[in-house]
Amino acid sequence: MSLNIRLRVNGRQQSARIEPSLSLLDLLRDTLGYKGVKICCNTGECGACTVLFNGKPVNSCVVLAADATGAEIVTVEGLAEGDRLHPVQQAFIDTGAVQCGYCTPGFIISVKALLDRTTNPTPEEIEEAVSGNICRCTGYAKIVDAIHLAADRIAGRP
Amino acid sequence: MKYFEPKSVSEALSLLKRYGEGAKVVAGGTDVLVDMKFKEEPLCLVNIKRLPGMSYIREDNGCLRIGALTSIREIETSPVVRQKLPLLWEAAHQFASLQIRNTATIGGNVCRASPSGETLAPLLVLGAIAHARFPKGEKKLPLGDFFLAPGKTLLGSKGLLREIEVPVPSKGSCGAYLKHAVRGAMDIAIVGVAVLVTPDAGGQKAKDVRIGLGAVAPTPIRARRAEKALRGKVVGRALMEGAARIAASESSPISDQRSSAEYRRWIVEALTRRGLAKAWRAATGKEVEG
Repeated sequence: MSLNIRLRVNGRQQSARIEPSLSLLDLLRDTLGYKGVKICCNTGECGACTVLFNGKPVNSCVVLAADATGAEIVTVEGLAEGDRLHPVQQAFIDTGAVQCGYCTPGFIISVKALLDRTTNPTPEEIEEAVSGNICRCTGYAKIVDAIHLAADRIAGRP
Repeated sequence: MKYFEPKSVSEALSLLKRYGEGAKVVAGGTDVLVDMKFKEEPLCLVNIKRLPGMSYIREDNGCLRIGALTSIREIETSPVVRQKLPLLWEAAHQFASLQIRNTATIGGNVCRASPSGETLAPLLVLGAIAHARFPKGEKKLPLGDFFLAPGKTLLGSKGLLREIEVPVPSKGSCGAYLKHAVRGAMDIAIVGVAVLVTPDAGGQKAKDVRIGLGAVAPTPIRARRAEKALRGKVVGRALMEGAARIAASESSPISDQRSSAEYRRWIVEALTRRGLAKAWRAATGKEVEG
């Protein structure tokens, strides 16, 4: 049994014919080709597959693709405007918050969601926002630096 | 695998009746997807995520009514939950990651009936009641009776959880939810302890005490003998320490990859003692004296 779904990904209308057991992660990566969404634990624990689902960060590996019908999905590919990187992406580069890079797209989406909620996050809010994202290179200190830098830039603080 | 998105509770019930044990209900999907990937697909998936009118938090006559499809994040960010049910708020706040809290539902956490389910011990001590629909009508099922075994509840294969009714604790009572896990909130609890204490008017005796234990028995349980050891007594350090030891003896944990049974019993004792002291301090403004 398969079903038809329609959703928006990074502002673009997409449709697909899918198996009902398909995860949103597999839909985005394999069916639609958004490889910026990373597959890692595949059990909702590591955050590498984080995307925005109607503005909220979710682990796409434990969301049914069928549930995304009518939803607005944002992946890391949807953040840059042309050649201009999103402030969160630029801050990750400028602070050296990227090591092997595999966890980075998930982190960037989680941080974007945080800074959409507030441009002046407390240390607790930062910890909460990224505690579902694992970096096995253990680069957390620089990631936190990147979050502060991105927040300052978005808020226009010198 | 057959797949349905019923438009009403009665349509969902008739699907459950038709497919029996072969049907699996999915809401947020954070547990069901993992099972489908690493165990097996059910014969039939009944996706209730879009059932209308099942996601809400309503205050009603001394209780909060929480729709089964309400996400953990909605509970965590609800001002009325924070104000009236801080114990449930604590559990929601310590529930996995933000990504999971945005997806997982309270109904899913309850129906999954995992002994370590984060909201279950708090809901038990709060005296929550499940409102479930069956083919023959609605039933009110106190959560104290609801859990039968890991993954098994009174819903069986025919019932659908519609709402959780959570009585607001009496004025003056305070609670605490303490969780022991290696990776903080992200991790499955090795032990979870929920405590709710109500001091008497003088702040000396415990008018009521409820202790809920998670992850240390086939279902979440109340430590009834430990509660009894405290109820009506003048609260002191020795009494609380004794009650914590009783709570540990009421648990029946297993050994698994996360910890040994013996370690879990030690943790039950420690967390019960700390939870009681914390709740007592919050309720009376005083440290427990020895």
